[in-house]
Amino acid sequence: MIGTFKDILARSKETGVRKRAAIALPDRRHLELLDAATQAGLIIPVLVGDGKMLEALRKGTGLAASDWRTIHEPDPGQALSRAIALVKNKEADILVQGGTDHQSFINQVSDAKTGLMNSRLMSYVSLYQLLKREKLILVTDTYMQNQPSLTDKQLILEHALRLAALLEIPRPKVAVLAAIEQVNPSIPSTLDAAILSKMADRRQFGDIILEGPLDIDCALDQNAAARKGVHSEVTGNVDIYLTPEMDTGYLLAQLLVYIGKMQMAGALMGTSSPVVLDLPFVSAPNKVIEIALAVLLACKGGIHE
Amino acid sequence: MIRTLDDVSKFAQDKGPKKLAVLAPEDGEFMLAVKKGWEAKYIEPVLIGDPEKMKRVAAEVAFDISGIEQIFETDRQAVANLGTAMLFAGDVDMASKGQIPTSYIYRAIIKEETKAGTGRTVSVISLWEVPELKRLTAFTDTGVNIRPDLKAKIEVVKNALFLFHILGYDRPRIAVLSGKREIGGTPGSFTDAAALKRMADAGDFGECEIIAATSFGEIFSGSGGTLQNDKGIDISRLPDILVVPNLDTGNVLCKLDFFLPVHRRSLVMTTRGPFLIPSRSDFCESILGEIAMGVVVAELRKGVGNR
Repeated sequence: MIGTFKDILARSKETGVRKRAAIALPDRRHLELLDAATQAGLIIPVLVGDGKMLEALRKGTGLAASDWRTIHEPDPGQALSRAIALVKNKEADILVQGGTDHQSFINQVSDAKTGLMNSRLMSYVSLYQLLKREKLILVTDTYMQNQPSLTDKQLILEHALRLAALLEIPRPKVAVLAAIEQVNPSIPSTLDAAILSKMADRRQFGDIILEGPLDIDCALDQNAAARKGVHSEVTGNVDIYLTPEMDTGYLLAQLLVYIGKMQMAGALMGTSSPVVLDLPFVSAPNKVIEIALAVLLACKGGIHE
Repeated sequence: MIRTLDDVSKFAQDKGPKKLAVLAPEDGEFMLAVKKGWEAKYIEPVLIGDPEKMKRVAAEVAFDISGIEQIFETDRQAVANLGTAMLFAGDVDMASKGQIPTSYIYRAIIKEETKAGTGRTVSVISLWEVPELKRLTAFTDTGVNIRPDLKAKIEVVKNALFLFHILGYDRPRIAVLSGKREIGGTPGSFTDAAALKRMADAGDFGECEIIAATSFGEIFSGSGGTLQNDKGIDISRLPDILVVPNLDTGNVLCKLDFFLPVHRRSLVMTTRGPFLIPSRSDFCESILGEIAMGVVVAELRKGVGNR
């Protein structure tokens, strides 16, 4: 089992193959990230943009020209589509977000013809390293879907389960979060949670244990749950937290980082090859972890296909 | 100004005891907290609930309740109604939920507010003490309104401001939270945030400031700011009041005290005094702290009137 960010890095290095990471229009900060990931033995960067500008940027870093490849694309409006095409044509293994704004980046990645999506939707999983023991927890969806329907939540869960499998989490324990632990028809999130719970009982998600609805105190603390009459293997030992919608997911993901001071790295799911987003609330060292995770995902091709 | 939970207990010791109606103290943790609150002279309790259960748990925590005022009632809604009516009649200074689902309490409070003709929207304020932050911060509404519209959020803001003003925060900073991010358009929660900010800027809420940031990323890094490492996080940027977009978000965030080194105290500011809303899963220390918070609020609201 992979229990820490260090493990992700170590496991990624162990694969022994550098993956080709395509990036369009990188700026200095992106190059520093690619530099760190290259030094760590994870990737060979493939830079797409104006050749002269890329070369000037490279000279500011510690890397030799032989460490990377560049694809000369003088038109900034074409750089991202060329980077995506490289990944689509298997000339690169991973797509890393460079200097394209988030909405345009997502739009191009999710384009039905030229993009990289291989699922009906994309979801984002936030991984946190617990402070007190060697365990990674997954929180999802924390970036992509504003108001996921029940069928969307099924896919979001399945995406998270693929990541859990990659991290070798045996028999994942899933908490479907809501405001209360009781099923209340006037709180829609509790209904979705109850249905997912029944589906899991019928083994529609395979070998997992899922509880829902759970409020966060029941999810986090077995004693707290017991006092509310919830008795389950999931309480106090959750691997995957499924959030009700984006207000909750996004704010929860950020609160854990900024107030909880927890380390977070994320993964975009639902694409045929790994895609690494450039989210402002992921610290620079943890972006290297995201690349390491993308390398692992790329190695287990089946995970993404 | 009440800055820490330590301030709260000192103040409660000084200004207690206050009369507290406890609704269904039928669990050891609750009864123990009531016992300790009584011993600390924070409160004179009135216990309302199932006589057998109260007797049993009192014995469990070695609390001799023979000299304590008790009202016997087993029906959950009746317990909630009784305690709430006592608060509104002025028979007690404050009330607290015990081992009873919160929906019964909200129903009873809403009924009494309606009867009193106050038109008050009921909302829950969950105060947090955060390490290294030398003042309290609050999430609201964390308990009542499932999907508050703008009108409800206006009332939620006013309720929280009333509390912060009496706690001595002259010009509270407020963030209206939203899941708005770089992608996904403009969610309703963000539209509400913008509308509330315009109202605050126009002076509609009195002394306060609604800041432009709607997420923790923006609060701590500024718009478009990038997190370099966790040492760069300046906790003093956390606003005093965090208005949550909906019930799911509020409840999930405010109860992270089960995971993070923060402490939570939840209450409803009714027009007749504080109604304490500990979670049914809270433990004794937290409930006792909640009782102390109630004493502080019951004392400070005296003579201030209502919002």
